[in-house]
Amino acid sequence: MRRKVIFVLCSLCVVLGFFTVLSVNKVLNSEWELPSAVSSDEQRQRIVLITQELDTPFWKLVGQGAAEQAEREDVGFELWGSYGKNQEDFLKQVEIALHSKVDGVIVQGHDTEEFQQLARIKAASYGIPIITVANDVPVEKSLRKTYVGSDHYASGELLVKQLVDDMGESGEIVLLGDAELEYSERLRLDGMEDSLAQYPEIRSVYIESGSSDEQAADAAQQALNEHPNVDAFILLDIRQARVIMQEISSRTELEPFYLYSFDDGSDASALLTEGKLDAIIEQSPEEMGEKSVEMMMKWLRNEVVPLDSKGYVTDIRIVEGKDELP
Amino acid sequence: MNTIQKKIWMLAGIVIVMMFAIWLALTFYNQKMQDQYNDILQRYLQMNEVTASSQQTVTNLNDYLSNPSARSAATLASSQKRLQDAQASLLELRNADNEFSLTNYSNMIESFTETVERSAAFSEQGENDIAASEFTEANRMSVYISEMTLSIFNSELRTYERFYRDIIRQSQELNTMGILLLSLTSVLLLLFTYLFSLSITKPVHQLTKAANELAKGRFDQPIRVNSNDEISFLAKTFDHMRVNINKLILEIQQKAQVESELQESQLLLQQSQMRHLQSQINPHFLFNTLNTLSKKAYLDGAEDTSDLLVSVAGLLRYNLKRLDHTVTLEEEAHVLTQYMDIQKARFSDRLTFHVDLDPSALLYQMPSLTLQPLIENAVIHGIEPKEDDGEIWFRIKDENQHIRVEIEDNGQGMDELKIEQLLTGGIAPREGHATGIGFANVAKRLQLFYGSNDVVEIESTPQCGTKIILKLPKVMEVESYV
Repeated sequence: MRRKVIFVLCSLCVVLGFFTVLSVNKVLNSEWELPSAVSSDEQRQRIVLITQELDTPFWKLVGQGAAEQAEREDVGFELWGSYGKNQEDFLKQVEIALHSKVDGVIVQGHDTEEFQQLARIKAASYGIPIITVANDVPVEKSLRKTYVGSDHYASGELLVKQLVDDMGESGEIVLLGDAELEYSERLRLDGMEDSLAQYPEIRSVYIESGSSDEQAADAAQQALNEHPNVDAFILLDIRQARVIMQEISSRTELEPFYLYSFDDGSDASALLTEGKLDAIIEQSPEEMGEKSVEMMMKWLRNEVVPLDSKGYVTDIRIVEGKDELP
Repeated sequence: MNTIQKKIWMLAGIVIVMMFAIWLALTFYNQKMQDQYNDILQRYLQMNEVTASSQQTVTNLNDYLSNPSARSAATLASSQKRLQDAQASLLELRNADNEFSLTNYSNMIESFTETVERSAAFSEQGENDIAASEFTEANRMSVYISEMTLSIFNSELRTYERFYRDIIRQSQELNTMGILLLSLTSVLLLLFTYLFSLSITKPVHQLTKAANELAKGRFDQPIRVNSNDEISFLAKTFDHMRVNINKLILEIQQKAQVESELQESQLLLQQSQMRHLQSQINPHFLFNTLNTLSKKAYLDGAEDTSDLLVSVAGLLRYNLKRLDHTVTLEEEAHVLTQYMDIQKARFSDRLTFHVDLDPSALLYQMPSLTLQPLIENAVIHGIEPKEDDGEIWFRIKDENQHIRVEIEDNGQGMDELKIEQLLTGGIAPREGHATGIGFANVAKRLQLFYGSNDVVEIESTPQCGTKIILKLPKVMEVESYV
């Protein structure tokens, strides 16, 4: 009897002791993970990349490249911006960045009065350098330090070359573009028009496609109505590509048309693989991101002063769709 | 020694220490958690303070612009001071996750302050248009600040979400630990209490059992108590008492035995004294009577009878002598002859007694009453059973080294076994002996007297006779022995 009681109590003790030790261990070992503190005297330089098309893969890549470069340079970096070309929000972000006295602003150039106002006056008053990336704003309007991105004029030329290779030296083409052309788009258009001038057999028409999807659809209708013999479409804004192609295919076969565009939107690669686009001009977004941060750091460290105001050109290349017709 | 009191103290001590430890641990963790909560809450409050003070500043600036007075300027300055204080405290809130946005935030506040100051300054200079535009700017920035506060709140919440979850998990684990610890403590306490109570009651039980044994009168079982406290002391004392009682009882028993023995021996002594008196009276009386009878018989002409009575009296007198006296061989031989005279009178023709004595050997000393028992043996065992022609030879010869005494009969004889028994005293003397002195006694006395073992020899053949040979060393002038 006595032994039994002692045995039962002892075994209970052992079992409970085991679990208690486990539990105590768990309690003692669970660390509360708090973000590590930063000493107050250590001030990292901060660079902000602001775009109005945060939602596109293109800008994601730019951001990615910039972030990697920032990591290498050991500077604080954040990607700000607005979605779907929300200009108001975009400008607000820029303003906030300037008020926040970041050390450098890398921004998707936006050729509007408000943007220029901000870049010219406010940034200058805070002494914050601005570098435009991918989309440029002329230096005389924006006082930007430099531009990093594709040579849009050259990309226009390159696309025309591709068009001539595909279509031949005669035909009718329609150029579709936004109501308010970005500086970069205008450069592309200039490039195309200048090189098309060499081919008198090719008749080109520029049609404004507006800024909304409905307007783009209307523009496509209009193009097909007014120019029934059209051979090729060149879309300045890739974000309208899907709507326009839908419109065309609702009227007639899509295949006979040559369709070209410039890659800075979300649909480009998908449309390419679907075979709907015949070719696009592909840019190097990651390189742009990296280069822009690199240039900004060079400026901030006074390594290269002044920066080349003409800009630093990144790669462009033609990418052809897979299932194109001969 | 562990006393019971000490044990109780120890138990209480263990309980108190355990409770204290548990309480301490729980309090410590609670405190830690509360501190963390406070820290986080403090962060939010500080950020909120920024928003509130920036809005306050905007309101005050507006007041000042519409009504520039010393009082509104003072209010503006105070709200700006408040904002700057809030801004200064922001730096402490920075960590790896929010460093960027907090720096932005802080700079934004700075820009805001500058704008407000500019606006006030322009207003002071009377440049109301510029002041108004700066005010608009400041107002917009205040809105930005609010928005930024919110976004920082958001990111803070994201950052600390894991932490909150950790804390919740931790508190759950703490609960589990508390329950486990409580049950462990309870079980341990139960165990300790049980062992403790056992350590008290078990020795008491043992002691009770031992007391019962003692009560039943068993004093021989030692009292064992497995304990090391007061009860063990009690048990030791008790055992000591038991041992003492046991000793006393034994002593009493021994005394009683000695007393009874004493009584017995006193009785025996009295008896022997009586017998002694009896036996002292008898010989002298008999001796005198025998002498009287001898004279009477002589006077009556019965000379044979008279001679016989003289022999009996002589034998009696000789017998009355002390055994430890030495006598000459001659005396011994004389007594022997007297005895044989008596025996011849008893057996008449059946017994022929041959004596052959060497007179030169008769001068030597020897213990008294040695030869008579031997010749008596020869008569009793050799002659009595025989119908007739019983012969006994008695010879004393002087051999150079010693004196040879031979007593020979032609009786039944005996075997080796019997001889052995005779020599070692295995056979007790029968009734009918004159002196009651046995062969073994004689042999022993001779050995003692001469200090030599080969004094007595027996030669015997069954149905032919027995010859006892004594080789006595030549001893003269011995006063007494033993």
